[in-house]
Amino acid sequence: MTLDITAVRDFRLELRSDPKLLQAVRKLVYCYVSCYGFSDEQCREIVLAVDEACANAIRHSYVGHPGGIIMLQLGVTRNSLEICLEDYGRTASQDKVCHRTPAPVDLEHMQPGGLGVQFIYQVFDEVRYTAGSDGGNNVRMRLRRPDIEEGE
Amino acid sequence: MGLRIETNNETTKICLRITGEVDLYTSPELRKAIMKAVTQSSGGVILDLTEVAYMDSSGVATLVEGLKANSDKKLAFSLRHPSQSVMKVLQLSRLDSVFQIEN
Repeated sequence: MTLDITAVRDFRLELRSDPKLLQAVRKLVYCYVSCYGFSDEQCREIVLAVDEACANAIRHSYVGHPGGIIMLQLGVTRNSLEICLEDYGRTASQDKVCHRTPAPVDLEHMQPGGLGVQFIYQVFDEVRYTAGSDGGNNVRMRLRRPDIEEGE
Repeated sequence: MGLRIETNNETTKICLRITGEVDLYTSPELRKAIMKAVTQSSGGVILDLTEVAYMDSSGVATLVEGLKANSDKKLAFSLRHPSQSVMKVLQLSRLDSVFQIEN
């Protein structure tokens, strides 16, 4: 999966599945999205959601191995921010990545990965997970840009 | 910025003052410090989160683990002055009412 066909792709970043790189990714994403009129709070939420998507690829797709490849693409269409993340590790089962109405708090069975997916759906207007053609996972996240008037 | 953890004794409680970003890379260090404090404390554990610039879901899971470990020992566990980033992630997780918060 790639960005929407109408999107201008501004960044295509290939990174290793190493958790120590996440801080640098967060800084890049924050700087990028702050160019498009999002409030500081929204920028932080977007950063959190992208960080969670990367962390899920590291923890679940590559099972903690730091040598996997994660491809992050950042771009915009006329009215939306578009972010795609691709990995080539284990494909996640759909029940792990589908949108659920947040369940009542259950401390005993809380899974960090599950929380991360929940954050992604909470932050973005549209989230689509698909299996990669040769394994792995693609996630496309879209959020309406606040710098575009309604109806544009 | 990595993670810095300072340990201070406050009567029977242990206060861990956390500075930096808590994510998939740094949360194991925080977990280790919390579990050590749980073992050593007779009155409970306080996490001072004033200077936490970022926290992700692995950080939240670590806090939950700390809460459970203290609860098993019938000890108090509280979060002191959680930063805006910490509160945000607790609210998104709907766990902000689960923790005892000192402001």
